Formats: sequence, C-alpha cells, structure tokens
Amino acid sequence: MTLVSAQNITYSINENKLFHNLSFGVNAGEGLHIKGGNGSGKSTLLRIILGITTPTKGLIKRCSEDLKISYLGHKNAIKNYLTPIENLELLFNDVEIKIAYEWLYKFNLSHVQDELAASLSFGQQKKLALIRVLAQSPELIVLDEPFVGLDQTAADQLNHFLEEQLSEGVGLIFTSHINPKISCKVLDLEAKNV
Amino acid sequence: MFRLLKTESFKLSNKLKSWLGPLLIMVLVLIAFPLSIDISQYDLEKFYFSIIVVSLLMTSFVATEGMFEEDFEDGSLEQEFLIEKDFYKLVLSKILVYVCLIGIPIAFIGALFSFANGVAIGSFAKVFLLLILSNLLLFNLFAFGNALSINKGAMLGVLSSLPLALPVIILLGRAIRSIQFGDGFSSIIALMFGLGLILSAMMPLIISAALKTHID
Repeated sequence: MTLVSAQNITYSINENKLFHNLSFGVNAGEGLHIKGGNGSGKSTLLRIILGITTPTKGLIKRCSEDLKISYLGHKNAIKNYLTPIENLELLFNDVEIKIAYEWLYKFNLSHVQDELAASLSFGQQKKLALIRVLAQSPELIVLDEPFVGLDQTAADQLNHFLEEQLSEGVGLIFTSHINPKISCKVLDLEAKNV
Repeated sequence: MFRLLKTESFKLSNKLKSWLGPLLIMVLVLIAFPLSIDISQYDLEKFYFSIIVVSLLMTSFVATEGMFEEDFEDGSLEQEFLIEKDFYKLVLSKILVYVCLIGIPIAFIGALFSFANGVAIGSFAKVFLLLILSNLLLFNLFAFGNALSINKGAMLGVLSSLPLALPVIILLGRAIRSIQFGDGFSSIIALMFGLGLILSAMMPLIISAALKTHID
C-alpha cells in the first residue's frame, strides 16, 4: 500500500526552481532516503510531504486523511523547563506513556528522566525528540537529519530501531548527509532521480 | 480540545515567570502609584479605578507577549499542525488557559485592591466580572498582535495591536460610569460578554491563519 506519493512536485523561491517535477512514492514498510547538498531543498521537500509548506506545483497524495505521521525536524520541540518524563506526558496518554518509558530505557535516558531537559546534552535532547517520534506508533515516520548530534553508539541504535519499524510495516522518509545502514530507496535531489 | 487545555495549563503553570510576572506587576503598580503621589482619600476615589484599568492593559500586554513565541522557536507549532491540521483549537485553548491562569487572578487583584483602598465603585462581584470580561477581550486582541510578528519579536506585534485595545478601554470607562451612576451596567456587561464570545470564536481563526503563514 502506498502511504504517500508525490506527483510532479515543483518548488520555486523567487523564480529559482529548487526542484522540478519530482515524483515518488513510499509504501508501507519502505524507506526513502532524500540526499542532496546544503540548500538543495531536502528539508523543504519533507515539509511539502507533511503539508506544512505548499508546493509551487504538484500534488501530495496520502493513502488516508487520518494517516498517522510523526515528524522530527531541525527543531526538537522539547520544553527546556520540563523533565524528559513531563515532555513525554504532554503528548501521550496513560497507555502510550508506558511505551515512551520503554523507549527512554532503550535510548539509555532513564537515568536523566527526572532532570530538566535544559540540563541534557544536545545528543540526549535529540534522543528524547526521537523517542517522541517513535513512541507515537506512527504509520509513517518523517525525519530531518536524524543522525546529527548522535554518537556512534546512538546512531547504530537508531539504525537498528528504524530497521525494526520498517519490518513492522511503518513507512520512513528521512534526509541525511551520511549514508545510513538502512536498506531503502534513495532520492538524490542533485541527480534528480530515485 | 481537552488534551490541549490540559497541555497548555501544564506548560503555563510550569513557566513561573510567564504567569507570576504579570500578577506581580499588577500588585506593584496598584501599591506603588497611590504611595508615590501625595493624594487624599477623596482624590484617590476619583481616579483609582483608572489606575486599575491602565494596570490591566499593561499586565495583559506583558502576559501575552510570549504566547506563541516559544512554541514557534522550539518547533512545537509544527508538531501541533501535524496533529490538528490547523491551529484553531490550540489558539482557543491558549487564550482560555491564559485568561483562567493570569486574567482571572489579575481581575481578582484589581477588584480586591479597589476595595482594600476603600474606593470601590460598586459591589465586588460587579467589578470582578467587569475586569474578567475586559481581560478576555484584551487577551484575544494581544494574542493576535503576538501571532502577527512572532518571528520578529512578539512585543512588536503586541504593540501594533495596541490601538485595537482602545475601544475596550472606552467600553470599560463606560461600564465604570454606569456602575457609579447605577444605570445601564447590565446592558454594557451583556455587550462586553457578547463581544468576548465573538472575539473568542473569530480571533483563533485569524490567529491560526497568521501562524500557518509563519511556519510555511
């Protein structure tokens, strides 16, 4: 089943075309790695897929209006004046929060769960943001540079968790400068092909 | 909606500076102003309520300054957009929570001080109700200003929406006179209540569109 598809997407800023006539689709259990240099429009494309940014031309189709998407962009959406637990409680109900606790343990953040998020390192904050994404039990995960700020161990862990999600039928779209160890399609914005 | 109300209450109650600051400013102005000038009790009766009105304007101005800025800066607005598809419920919840956690205590302080100074112009309930409704109107208007210039310093937008608050101040003045002369208070309160309902329903729509433009 195709979760989301892009048809002839064009996006221009001040008459400069960032990308032109892009078409691709992501099925359940399939990954799409969007590659490209700085300023090639990777983040913009993700935001177009999510419906946050409107494309100049083209169409994004979702399999259902209620498709459950979770997203992590450049901003972590972490409240610095709350603890990691409180940050998660803002989003999850009593049942979901138990799943989030398990992710805290998996990402090795249990020991800082009662400290203020402001006192966490950049990498730990990134892990917390990733937990928000993964614990939502989404049908499609959209990540913008998820490996930035993570040490090698955490990056390997994330690779493993994302592979697990793919095997469970979750769709994945992400941008990354490094080549991740995840088997997926690659969309190269500079080569303009999938 | 209930999730948003719960979330926004939790967030605001954990931001001590955001809710305690306006309350302290209100108390400070109401205490300091009569002390700083040498006036008799008779003179105080004439204009103490005007001081309350100006304090109300100032504190609602300060209270709404960071209403959307933090969520915009940390990416929470984008996350909320993905869940709700627009910001109507979020804005409505924020304004309601701000009125409940900051507006009502401010109104209570205003009403309390007017009585503590022996310059009450009517019953406590009337003054309290009047100040709550004024806060509802002002918070809606200043939230709009805040949303307009969220990425250029929210204070600028709040300042630009200041002229919109002038009709509220005029209406408040009329209400005070109607209490003093014991005439037409209920019709002005009904008008303010109606305006409050219309603004609370319409303003989130406008603010939602402004916020969407900012994250686009």
